[in-house]
Amino acid sequence: MNADVLEIKTEQLLKTKKRSQLFDVWLRLKKSKAAIAGLLLIGIFIFMAILAPVLVSYEDDALKMNVRVRLQTPGSDHWFGTDELGRDIFARIVYGTRISLFVGIISVSIALTLGGTLGAIAGYYGGKIDNIIMRFLDVLLAVPAVLLAITIVAALGASMLNLMIAVGVSNIPGFARVVRAAVLSVKDQEFIEAAKAIGAKDHTIILRHVLPNSMAPIIVFATLKVATAIMATASLSFLGLGIQPPTPEWGSMLAGGRSYIRDHMYIVLYPGMAIVLTVLSLNLIGDGLRDALDPKLK
Amino acid sequence: MRNKVLEIKNLKIRYVTDDGIVEAVNGIDMLIEKGRTLGLVGETGAGKTTTAMSILRLIPDPPGEIISGDIILDNIKLLEISENEMETIRGRLVSMIFQDPMTALNPSICVGEQISEAISIHQDVTKEGAKEKAREMLEIVGIPGSRMEEYPHQFSGGMKQRVIIAIALSCSPKLLIADEPTTALDVTIQAQVLELMKELKEKLEMSMLMITHDLGVVAEVCDDVAIMYAGRIVEQGNLEEIFKYTKHPYTEGLFNSIPNIDDRKAELIPIRGLMSDPYNLPDGCSFCDRCDYALDICQTEKPKKIYFSGTHFSECHLYSGNSDFQLNCGKK
Amino acid sequence: MYHFLIKFIAVIKYEQIGGTVLKYIIRRLLLLLPVMLGVIFLVFFIISLTPGNVASMILGDGATDERIVELREEMGLNDPLIIQYGRYMGSLLRGDMGVSYADGRSVAGEIGQRFPNTFKLTITAIILSVLISIPIGVISATKQYSIFDNLGMILALIGISMPSFWIGLILIIAFSLNLGWFPSGGMSGVMSLILPAFTLAIASTASITRTTRSSMLEVIRQDYINTAKAKGVSKNKVITKHALRNALIPAITVIGLEFGVLLGGAVLTETVFSWPGIGRLMVQSIQRKDTPMVLGCIIVFTLSFSIVNLLIDILYAYLDPRIKENYK
Ligand SMILES: Nc1ncnc2c1ncn2[C@@H]1O[C@H](COP(=O)(O)OP(=O)(O)OP(=O)(O)O)[C@@H](O)[C@H]1O
Ligand SMILES: [Mg+2]
Repeated sequence: MNADVLEIKTEQLLKTKKRSQLFDVWLRLKKSKAAIAGLLLIGIFIFMAILAPVLVSYEDDALKMNVRVRLQTPGSDHWFGTDELGRDIFARIVYGTRISLFVGIISVSIALTLGGTLGAIAGYYGGKIDNIIMRFLDVLLAVPAVLLAITIVAALGASMLNLMIAVGVSNIPGFARVVRAAVLSVKDQEFIEAAKAIGAKDHTIILRHVLPNSMAPIIVFATLKVATAIMATASLSFLGLGIQPPTPEWGSMLAGGRSYIRDHMYIVLYPGMAIVLTVLSLNLIGDGLRDALDPKLK
Repeated sequence: MRNKVLEIKNLKIRYVTDDGIVEAVNGIDMLIEKGRTLGLVGETGAGKTTTAMSILRLIPDPPGEIISGDIILDNIKLLEISENEMETIRGRLVSMIFQDPMTALNPSICVGEQISEAISIHQDVTKEGAKEKAREMLEIVGIPGSRMEEYPHQFSGGMKQRVIIAIALSCSPKLLIADEPTTALDVTIQAQVLELMKELKEKLEMSMLMITHDLGVVAEVCDDVAIMYAGRIVEQGNLEEIFKYTKHPYTEGLFNSIPNIDDRKAELIPIRGLMSDPYNLPDGCSFCDRCDYALDICQTEKPKKIYFSGTHFSECHLYSGNSDFQLNCGKK
Repeated sequence: MYHFLIKFIAVIKYEQIGGTVLKYIIRRLLLLLPVMLGVIFLVFFIISLTPGNVASMILGDGATDERIVELREEMGLNDPLIIQYGRYMGSLLRGDMGVSYADGRSVAGEIGQRFPNTFKLTITAIILSVLISIPIGVISATKQYSIFDNLGMILALIGISMPSFWIGLILIIAFSLNLGWFPSGGMSGVMSLILPAFTLAIASTASITRTTRSSMLEVIRQDYINTAKAKGVSKNKVITKHALRNALIPAITVIGLEFGVLLGGAVLTETVFSWPGIGRLMVQSIQRKDTPMVLGCIIVFTLSFSIVNLLIDILYAYLDPRIKENYK
């Protein structure tokens, strides 16, 4: 068999395998009521984030202070009530969805890119390089993730960009490990050997053959990590170390409403529910995906 | 007088799974007398392990369920007693050796403790007494007593199987069930382990149910043989009857598919086809699709037992009108 | 758990002293050292990224440029980072973590005063989690797909999805503002510990329950469980003696990792409940730009995390004989 034919064959093999696999996964995922509930729920949030300007006005409802209507209980005018500055809580939650999803996804992308690269290199080359990378990760891993994020923000200053960097960096070790393990598990399979045999370059092999075939655990992990990242974003903002007021962010809304909980518990109730439901939906999807990708574990 | 150690009557077991119902055991009878060894032979999926586990009442439920039948061990109707009573029987009256010694020992408990545990449960001894007895057992199976404190991962496969034998025999049960005890071992170790089992069986005057695919093992250790196919015993008899006067086409097929020691030039003829789908067993004889002698009636009607002697029977339509029918030993 | 602890101590005390476990502990300690050096350097490096001139900040608005330059020199801020790090490590080994920029008090002294409070809170929380989660995880696994299991797993999933500071606020609203059973903050006796400890425990309880269940499910399918049953071991004993121990091996690792999450959670919980621990101290110090204090807090947190993981590793070696073996 000459090299071209071999390559084409390998490609075909990979493609058919991948497509039918994805289809199987979807069939199994569909069976899980929990995963479907999660998908619906996250669908609603994504919908809210996209349609935010249609639903409410950012300037008038979410930002403008209006002391005359401060601390209104939920009703037909203000579904979720108003906060201590008279801003509509529903509007702020809707716009908060944008922030949370954006920060969650971007910070996971940062972690995936940096951590994934480290992990792929460590797993693919092994030996000394692997050792050095793993020792570095041990160091990162020795600091509890939220504390690492807090430290980074403390040093760089509180802003959305720094928040994303902080949450992203604190998730590097996790992604590096998952990608490394995934790479190790496919590295020695035949089609990789075949690709090597026809003289493909290392980075082509990693990007085109190794990673696509080790996607399953990475996708599951990333889904679950978006959930944690959203939680971390809210946590840091709650501490005043993340998104700064008056930008509507769920965690900072809770921080602002804290002093009013005695008589106005709805101020903290609804933003908190938004966090719980978003994180829950992602966890449901992540769990469902894991079971669907690895049916023997059920 | 016959001394029945185990009697099974019309046992039916199935597994109810998401994909359908597996009829694993479909009405079998079995009798093991004191001091005798019954070999249970059949290809993979025949229901051998299921039968064995039912004697210990350890069929995982769900998905498994015993639909009907009787299992009588030492005059006790096992399917009628409580779980607590059953616990006093397991390990004392009947023990089992599992197929894969690599996974059958608890990795985090030292082997001595794993043996003495069985002794403490069933015998009225002190902790020290149980330990002493466990050490004896270990030495009986040929492992120095000094290795009592070691953990399973420090033993080789053959030694693990010896430890498992020591556990199973520690309370001198009346019946020992061995589920393919040598399949996972390499050939030289196989012979040693079998020899050991045979020797201990004589010494302790036990009966044994030996499950195997291997007719060589049967010839070496069994007194009686039951051939199992798709959840039924299709032929049973003593060693001579099965080996010399083979009646069922499936049994014949099994013999033709193993090398013959006396006639090495003889051609090996594997049984064609695969075992019928256990989710969907045919109306007639389960073997008829693979049978070279199949008659029309085999498609539609289940064959009944036909006896050729007090001990030898077969379930096959070939003999229903004509009990003198001769198989042609695959030489067509 | 108690039973384990006793046995565990016994193992270390009598049987194995000078033997495998001790060797293992020493080995682990030696491995820990470079990691700790690396971590402190990492944190030191991150903190050094702080923009702004520390000296002018300390001296306040009226300071002359001369004085600022002088102070920078005095504080060694002009030296290369690695020299500053070496100096810091040197004093750290003598238990000196510098002085607070905000009020000039000794960082080590302040942390020493507050650490017991954080310790009390986190230990209570982790004990609560373990006591609740392991039995639930085990029962869920042995009764897979029962109502108990389904309900337990839904609650656990919700548990890992709730941010601790929100749980804290909700608990304050319910049990302190409405029912008046517990104080809403501060540290004043056992009653004031209950709400924050529960708040902190919920997330780890949920995730340890999930891990225990899944590793238990894995274990009860193993052949050796059948071997044990075939010996006549009773149903309960099969679970507690044969299954649980093997299932705990992976669960223990998660307990260790959860402790890290718990320490992060402590920062939030302490803030919500005005609990005078190092978590709250750290947040306050960040707001005051009190770098030495922040550095001190994060080092103590990280050190605690590493020590817990060391203990976990030792427990692990006790539970899994295959690990001890490597150190004979
Ligand atoms: N836990 C289970 N759930 C569902 N089906 C099962 C289960 N255990 C066994 N079966 C099915 O029951 C049938 C009989 O299985 P059994 O293990 O008794 O066969 P066996 O004769 O011991 O085979 P082998 O020689 O491979 O050990 C098979 O079709 C098998 O797939
Ligand atoms: Mg079997």
